[in-house]
Amino acid sequence: MATATPWSPSSFTPAHRDYAKVKLTTWAITWGVILLASLVPAVLAATGAGIALWLVLAPILLVLLLALLALRIIRRQVAALGYLEREEDFIVRSGVMWRKQVVIPYGRMQYVEVNSGPLERRYGLCQLTLNTAGTGATAHVYGLPEREGQELRERLVAAGEEQML
Amino acid sequence: MSQSVEPAAGDSAEPWQRVHPASPFVHGWLAIIGLVYIYWQNTDELSWAERFSGDRLIWTVAGAGIALLVVLIFYFLSWYFTRYKLTSTHVYVNSGMLFRSQKQARIDKVQGIDIAQPLVARLLGLAELRFDVADSSESVLRLSFLRKADAHALRQVILQRARGGRPAHAPEAEQAAADAPAPADPQPAMQASPLMAKVPIGRLIASLFLQLPVIIGLLACLSMLVLWISGVEGIIAGLVPSVLAFGSWFYKQLNQGWNFTASASDTGMRISYGLADTRQHSIPSGRVQAISVTAPFFWRMLGWYKVEVNVLGTKSDDADNLQVLPVGDFESVARIMGILLPDLGVENQREVLATAVSTGSEHGFIGSPERAKPLSPGAWKHQGFLATGTTVISRYGWLARQASFVPHNRVQGMSWIQGPWERGRRLAGVRLHSAGGSITGYVHQIDADTAAEFIRAQTRRLV
Repeated sequence: MATATPWSPSSFTPAHRDYAKVKLTTWAITWGVILLASLVPAVLAATGAGIALWLVLAPILLVLLLALLALRIIRRQVAALGYLEREEDFIVRSGVMWRKQVVIPYGRMQYVEVNSGPLERRYGLCQLTLNTAGTGATAHVYGLPEREGQELRERLVAAGEEQML
Repeated sequence: MSQSVEPAAGDSAEPWQRVHPASPFVHGWLAIIGLVYIYWQNTDELSWAERFSGDRLIWTVAGAGIALLVVLIFYFLSWYFTRYKLTSTHVYVNSGMLFRSQKQARIDKVQGIDIAQPLVARLLGLAELRFDVADSSESVLRLSFLRKADAHALRQVILQRARGGRPAHAPEAEQAAADAPAPADPQPAMQASPLMAKVPIGRLIASLFLQLPVIIGLLACLSMLVLWISGVEGIIAGLVPSVLAFGSWFYKQLNQGWNFTASASDTGMRISYGLADTRQHSIPSGRVQAISVTAPFFWRMLGWYKVEVNVLGTKSDDADNLQVLPVGDFESVARIMGILLPDLGVENQREVLATAVSTGSEHGFIGSPERAKPLSPGAWKHQGFLATGTTVISRYGWLARQASFVPHNRVQGMSWIQGPWERGRRLAGVRLHSAGGSITGYVHQIDADTAAEFIRAQTRRLV
């Protein structure tokens, strides 16, 4: 576990703690729907169709197992998010199993978006997307407090314009 | 493309012009075929003689006459309302009778003009001009159709104005490579367009059949055919779509390499190709974002390569990368690279290029360490990268070996990535993203510290 990342994780500004709540709510909704779907064989069996017991139980157990695994990793995933503003470029990091650090020089920025969904708004959060001309070169910043998001956008746009001169 | 329509003052000397009168036919010949087909279907029960005898003859002739008249009227109106004008600053194209469209492009924003010839247009010696405009990502301005010689001349005039040159210059400078026996320009106008690569048809077909996807596809189709013949009726449901999918993919490859020529122009290079349609692209070197050189498994034994580029704007509608060499030897690759990426940032350019498209760690290439072997048993020896003064060269791929070249000033952003297995072996990768296509710099499974050091150093080079 001791291998070096290009920029030390501690130097990044982490996502707000409430973002974990957003992710938890999303987790509950998503897996709730999937769990409902996995109950279909059970309902069929209850209405009298001849379905083997293991066919009833296996999907439910599988879904519960995957849901718990996903739940376990959410906090670590949120903790792995972060952004770093530097002199000439902007860096975001993400990922627990698949770790990633994306660098976008200010001079390559095309536009910056700030979005917030209903869930994020409830917790006063937003997300920021930094786009370039390249399809792969996009940086997402999740779990930003709304004011911080606006300020960050202003700073990024200003930095981009400075680079353009 | 959102300027007002009124032409600039002082340009009234250049009048509106109409396109070639056959243009509506080239656009709408399918409609005529369709009409004839419908007529034929509806009179299916009649014999050939019955259609044209007695009372029927009158009806047939009258019906055909009216249909022809209607079609001709529509064609005439369509032609009449399609006009274009060239001023010193803009190209205007107006079309449509009921739904009028008025399009214009600023000449100083025109970055390239492609000449396309669909099948019917080629039979009639006509060509279409497609303007590639800098400030509009889509909605290419098209002017169709003109006589081929006129199209070339107009293209030349517009390109000259775009460059700020005077239109008095000889118009047949850089187009000659496309049509060698062009009767329209008697000069041997080859001085500005040395031929860089040409793909013989035999080699093209051989190269297509020597690719693993093709071999696998053919084997799959063949085995399904055998199954079908030996009595498995249901397999036909799978056979037809696979043959169609495979066939269309194969045709596309064939079309893109057919009669392929690449030549140098004063701004970069020009390619032309096409089986049914002749297509021409100009690729200004300044707009090339990334280059990849690929050697599929069987090609390696023959020393063949394919070269593709990420280029801004000029590509046609599909999202594929632009092929600038469907198949060619190292000499052709070196010539093309010399045009598209004249400064590789090293002194012994040719030797470095040779290492880049093969395997080895000469000239400072840094490869994957041996502990990458279990993760990429076939590719680890090939994987590697070299950051020169101007460019990052990266090698990757197992059966089809690739080398990608991304100039520092074309990198849009970079990712450092590390999966769980790579972390266990202290490996990491770096991706260099560029615009205009799917080619990326792909530094794969190198030592983690080297990767971190590389991406940190690279951020200083990008600025």
